[in-house]
Amino acid sequence: MIAVLGLIVGVVVGLVVRPVVPTVVEPYLPIAVIAALDAVFGGLRAMLDGIFDDKVFVVSFLSNVVVAALIVFLGDKLGVGAQLSTGVVVVLGIRIFSNAAAIRRHVFRA
Amino acid sequence: MVTDGNPEPARQPEPPQGHGPAGRRPMPPENRAVPGRPGPGESAPAWGPGGEPAASVPSAGDTAPGTAADDGTPGRAETGRQRLVASLWPPRLTRAQLIVALLLFILGLGLAIQVRSTSDSSALRGARQEDLVRILDELDNRSQRLTDEERRLEGQKTELENSSDQAEEARKQTVEKEQQLGVLAGTVAAQGPGINLTIDDSAHSVEADKLLDTIQELRAAGAEAIQVNDVRIVANTYLSDSGNGVEIDGKRVGQPYRFKVIGKPEDLEPALNIPGGVVQTLEKEQAKVSVTREGKIIVNALREAKRPDYARSSSQ
Repeated sequence: MIAVLGLIVGVVVGLVVRPVVPTVVEPYLPIAVIAALDAVFGGLRAMLDGIFDDKVFVVSFLSNVVVAALIVFLGDKLGVGAQLSTGVVVVLGIRIFSNAAAIRRHVFRA
Repeated sequence: MVTDGNPEPARQPEPPQGHGPAGRRPMPPENRAVPGRPGPGESAPAWGPGGEPAASVPSAGDTAPGTAADDGTPGRAETGRQRLVASLWPPRLTRAQLIVALLLFILGLGLAIQVRSTSDSSALRGARQEDLVRILDELDNRSQRLTDEERRLEGQKTELENSSDQAEEARKQTVEKEQQLGVLAGTVAAQGPGINLTIDDSAHSVEADKLLDTIQELRAAGAEAIQVNDVRIVANTYLSDSGNGVEIDGKRVGQPYRFKVIGKPEDLEPALNIPGGVVQTLEKEQAKVSVTREGKIIVNALREAKRPDYARSSSQ
């Protein structure tokens, strides 16, 4: 419950305060958000599976974000930033989908 | 990834797939009886995004949702849905909840920022580099063209302004010319320095030729506008005798003859007063003559502008 509240508060604050993102970070923000989403879905699924662990969640959340940003950064340096971003998004999307399917099985039993 | 045609019972959690090496392993059958409960030998799905090793999983049981659910409903009744509901309500202020809330807060923040900044600057944000270069080129070309056009229009404007200035100037000159010609032709009133000349001829001995002499003398001295009583003296003015008086342009002028003359007073007065000049000649005829200089003479007798019937300008 508190966690859901945190998400809602974050969205509201982001919409209301309109913080300015530094230009350096800007290209990595969307990928980081996707990676974090993936982590959240994984965490939700783990919770439904009854194996949720906050430490694992924190580590996976942060490492997910960092690795995603790192891949994009590396891709930018190598000149394949756009393609690598697409690859990362595809992989994360697949993971999100499979996690969502598992969650669906838990929640709807179907 | 997830196979819907899985022969296993639907209420069993699917073996997660695609989550690292551990996820591929088939779940041991004995664990299916207690789904979601971390058994000792359970090779749990590596749910972590980073492909967390299964070794870290057994520690998960000590956090709120799992433990509470395990205590409340032993056996296989503990399902994912119940865990979800249990974790949603009542809200519990645990360390895990707080940490997750913090991370989700960050996620929401980033999501909101990204959505906002994406919706902010429309089409250009998603465009590829080549597209951007092309758009930039187009914009450059367009601004170049617009600059050219601006210069051209600027030139046109200057031209028009000049021509309208010229038209204005010509109009002003025309008006000025009209005024000058009007003074000469007697169609407009004139004012300026000059003299008043009064000839009081009680003996009626002054005739038209004497007055004409006077006018000629004044003209020779530079008179620019002359009026006798209420008759303007212009180029085609004629004087004639009639009975015991004088007519100017067929209009009888009575005694005394009052000349209003505009010109340089210092020239006009001496011209009349020179020995043997107009004044002496008139005085010989028993007329009383007075000449006074004036700083401001107003010649306001007017004459109709008459269109010549025969004479035409030969310059056109």
